[in-house]
Amino acid sequence: MDLIQEDSLSLEPLGEILESIPNAGNCDLIPILQKIQSVYGYLPPNVLMAVSDRTGIAASRIYGVATFYEQFHLEPHGRHTIRCCRGTACHVKGGRDIIRAIRKILGVEEGETTKDMLFTFETVACLGTCFLGPVMMVNNDYYGHLAPNKVKDILERYG
Amino acid sequence: MSSQHIKSINELVKLQKDLLSRRQEYKARVLICATGCRALGAQGVAAKFRERLQSLSLDKQVHVVETGCIGMCARAPVVLVEPYEYLYGGVSEEDIDEIISTTIQNGKAVERLAVVQDGKPVPRIKDIDFYKKQNRLVLENCGRIDPRRIEDAIERGAYLSTVQAITRKKPQQIIDEVTESGLRGRGGAGFPTGVKWNFCRKSEGEEKYLICNADEGDPGAFMDRALLEGDPHRVIEGMIVAAYAIGVCRGFIYVRAEYPIAVEHINIALEQARALGLLGDDIAGSGFGFDIEVRMGAGAFVCGEETALIASLEGERGMPNTRPPFPAQKGYLGKPTNINNVETFANVPLVMKHGVDWYKQRGTEKSKGTKIFALAGRVNSTGLVEVPMGATLREIVFDIGGGIPKGRKFKAAQMGGPSGGCIPAQYLDSEIDYDSVQQIGAIMGSGGLVVMDENTCMVDVARYFLEFVQSESCGKCTPCRVGTKKMLQMLQAISRGEAKVEDLDYLEHLAEHVKEASLCGLGQTAPNPVLSTLRHFREEYVEHIVLKTCRAAVCEGLVRASCQHACPAGVNVPEYLALAAEGKLNEAANLIRRRNPFISVCGRVCDHPCEQRCRRSEIDRPLAIRALKRYIADNMDDYETLMARRVEEPAEVAIVGSGPAGLSCAYFLAIMQRSSVIFEAQPIPGGMLALGIPEFRLPKETLQREIDFILSHGVELRIKSRIENVKKLIDKGFKAVFVATGAQFGKGIDIEGIELDGVFDALELLRERALGKGRNCEGKTVVVLGGGNVAVDAARSVVRLGAKKVTILYRRTRQEMPAYEEEIEEAIQEGIEVITLGIPKRILSKNGSVSGIEFIRAELGKAEADGRRRPVPVEGSESVIECDMVIPAIGQVASTEAVKYSGGPELTDWGTIKVDPVSYSTTVGEIFSGGDCVSGPSSVIEAIASGQKAAVHIDRLLGGTGELPGDVGFSFVKPDDETLEKAPPRAEEKIIALDKRKRGFAEVVLGLDREQAVGEAQRCFRCDLEK
Repeated sequence: MDLIQEDSLSLEPLGEILESIPNAGNCDLIPILQKIQSVYGYLPPNVLMAVSDRTGIAASRIYGVATFYEQFHLEPHGRHTIRCCRGTACHVKGGRDIIRAIRKILGVEEGETTKDMLFTFETVACLGTCFLGPVMMVNNDYYGHLAPNKVKDILERYG
Repeated sequence: MSSQHIKSINELVKLQKDLLSRRQEYKARVLICATGCRALGAQGVAAKFRERLQSLSLDKQVHVVETGCIGMCARAPVVLVEPYEYLYGGVSEEDIDEIISTTIQNGKAVERLAVVQDGKPVPRIKDIDFYKKQNRLVLENCGRIDPRRIEDAIERGAYLSTVQAITRKKPQQIIDEVTESGLRGRGGAGFPTGVKWNFCRKSEGEEKYLICNADEGDPGAFMDRALLEGDPHRVIEGMIVAAYAIGVCRGFIYVRAEYPIAVEHINIALEQARALGLLGDDIAGSGFGFDIEVRMGAGAFVCGEETALIASLEGERGMPNTRPPFPAQKGYLGKPTNINNVETFANVPLVMKHGVDWYKQRGTEKSKGTKIFALAGRVNSTGLVEVPMGATLREIVFDIGGGIPKGRKFKAAQMGGPSGGCIPAQYLDSEIDYDSVQQIGAIMGSGGLVVMDENTCMVDVARYFLEFVQSESCGKCTPCRVGTKKMLQMLQAISRGEAKVEDLDYLEHLAEHVKEASLCGLGQTAPNPVLSTLRHFREEYVEHIVLKTCRAAVCEGLVRASCQHACPAGVNVPEYLALAAEGKLNEAANLIRRRNPFISVCGRVCDHPCEQRCRRSEIDRPLAIRALKRYIADNMDDYETLMARRVEEPAEVAIVGSGPAGLSCAYFLAIMQRSSVIFEAQPIPGGMLALGIPEFRLPKETLQREIDFILSHGVELRIKSRIENVKKLIDKGFKAVFVATGAQFGKGIDIEGIELDGVFDALELLRERALGKGRNCEGKTVVVLGGGNVAVDAARSVVRLGAKKVTILYRRTRQEMPAYEEEIEEAIQEGIEVITLGIPKRILSKNGSVSGIEFIRAELGKAEADGRRRPVPVEGSESVIECDMVIPAIGQVASTEAVKYSGGPELTDWGTIKVDPVSYSTTVGEIFSGGDCVSGPSSVIEAIASGQKAAVHIDRLLGGTGELPGDVGFSFVKPDDETLEKAPPRAEEKIIALDKRKRGFAEVVLGLDREQAVGEAQRCFRCDLEK
């Protein structure tokens, strides 16, 4: 997932995305937004306006969809995304202590990004790896059987 | 593999044959789960395996296969070696060489990596209990194939029955078969699948759609993820059959974005199926065309609801719509659409391959087939489990799941995620199917099964689920949007102890309304966890509100430190442990005595509820708090210091009974500057401490020193002063009375022969010994009936009084014996035999004296209302133990004679004195009561706590503030992370040699030494400083 700096936002990647989905209509909106986010790191407002221009999908509708789903971010995102599970099984095995540890180490609350833009901290209702509880993902890497004292070492591997 | 397009079923059969013959060239296959186990390094293990095999030139004989979920997730990373069928758990890269040399090259099992059962390694997968009771049918390929290779699936028969179905059967025939099979939707609602397909088929229009709902959002569920990651072709097959039967040419798989591996594997599978002509136009030459597009969710739980999912597919906000019209009539883009869950589709190939009759063999009458459960939470063998419908919760949690770890007890199982309910122990033996589960107040749900033990707070569970549902509510309809918010706020208030009891009725009322009025399944089921926990665990809600107690010591708003919270007297455990670690024993003792004067006593005989909630037990073992308290008591030198000035005023309060409750009450009253007189009927003070607990557990001098300490505060003790009638004390001018007469007399047992010579009540026996009239048991053969501390104490006393052979006979199991585990262990070491599951029938006599006892063996039957399994006598299994003494130690009766006068305090239905749970006041204003005469036989610390709390309220009644001395802020010392991690294992107290134990009543346990004590105290996390 590349992070493109705000001031050099190019609409070229968007062009490629739209080309890959011919005759893009309403039904393709979510896949389009997912592709934009995977390239740009988030959903830059000017890119969204360009989507509206080029596909004819109303900007208000795009905004409605972008703000409904948990996955979409309208603000720049950290280079690494931490997704800590707050699912039942993890909860019952002390998931809250892990969340607290991450908060303490990074100094951010859930949903926030660290000042150095290195980490965005999210919690997810369930990662589906309940037998490993408590679990967190950093990008696509899973870390299971966590204890609060293991979190620091894991995060240090990412920069 | 060549890019051939299968054009007929024969070509597919031939392909399968070719693949199978090529596979036989391998001598062995090493199957490594690379999906879930990836999180613990499975991919590294697979890579290293290949590397090592190559360097040994074995790579042509041994195939390393990265598979899907093998099932036993608790032992990740899991490796299965064919053809030996050896299952290894916790495999790391360092284990590979041994596996290669021992198993691959020599065909033997690596026992240290195998699953251990009853202390023995069990390497073969079919011998492992986890797998024995399962029926892995839908999961038959998971763990056996590389899901990224369609060849692996075809080798095992994939697509054969599907191609057969679409080439040889008519669509309606297939629908009829699926209907007849009894397959019901596995997503949670259990709607008959064939019926649903039929609705869609019968709808008007040519353009129809098929959707696979892979938006598995229930926290705790991972069945669909495992199927998509481990055997995606099975799901695709189910979709092809459904599409053909209904008449659909375009399908979607809507999968959560949070499942990147599933997305990857399903995309690979689709590509490979297309390449082989098994998907797309003209599937396998049948003339039927169908293709599938993958769409990812964008992080909205509500999109698991079918109309919200469809909205999402249409590029809209995922908000549900009213039904009717149902998707079968008007779904995607307004066209007839059939949506099924992943597991539902995965069941279809089984029906096609084996036929309806085969499928109907499994399951209950109305719920056919098997169900996959994701077993998680506080259970030993977490993982993926497939059982026939109708299996019981006990089979899943205990037989398959291996029971609850750390010796804890099962409390409830959450089924159905946020839409479901909690099932308590009394239903462990109910058969699980769609309908039976609903009757208990839960729903089958998608299959998430989270096990909870006694350290789980049910109020917290309800609050947790509501938090989840509240944040996932789409907001469209008011009942859900506002109703769940309001319910959540109420639950948060309850968990902070800031609610009223009446709020519970309102909460229930509101929950029912939200259920009835919400637009979609999310809102309609959101109240379920609240309703089911209120139904089965209402006492916990009430405790939070009235007693400000969270019995699992979880709710942050109420709990400062879980150990302190679990202590009925509220002793500040973390701080006194820290003081002890620093060597400040006198300070530690004084801190304890601000809430509990009996340091020596509790340090020896307390049942330590604090240790049962100690957070350290999540890492290794709980702190040995009781042993540390004893260490402090034995090594401090501060027995003279008074807490405050000695009270000199004439006594205002009368206390009846000098047991732990009465003495504590007097002590705390004295600290609050109120004087009291204790009236004790017996010639020595102490109650059960002196007359019930034998000296080898609690020496006389130790107890007396502690009693003297209390009395030195200016408390007057009058022994041999029985109070016949408490009213007389009030008439005499006492402003308040605390009745603490205990439950010192045995209940007895109603069996033939109970009146014979040679039958002695256990409590009477212990009391006689304490008063110096120990019964001579020289050479006797004794049978003690019962399983509590009194029974064990009596048995061990009788050994010391000369008995030749002593047996304890208990009607339930060893684990259920209420006596402390250490005491039972020590008893057995002292030669006492413990017979469990034995129900006494009658006492036999010879010449009017006891000659033996007849008992019948029992088996554990089904769970009863209290959750315990009923011991069921086994016909014809009577047995006789020859003996000359029988000592019943079954139950104790509360002593309430002193309050049995007209106009006196009311009693409860169980014959104990009724009190207010907060103030311990009886129904008569100035009379308070506590200890065993209120609770029935209970623990020492409960009695002490009741005395403490009653003292507070008596002081308030008499115009005081009822304030106990401050007990916070004495130590902020916390061990550093390194010390905590390198901590020694839990310290064990030394005990005296066995030969010294059987002669005389010397104290058995010796306590910790200094080094042990300091090391142990430094294991404490100082949870109180976390906030």
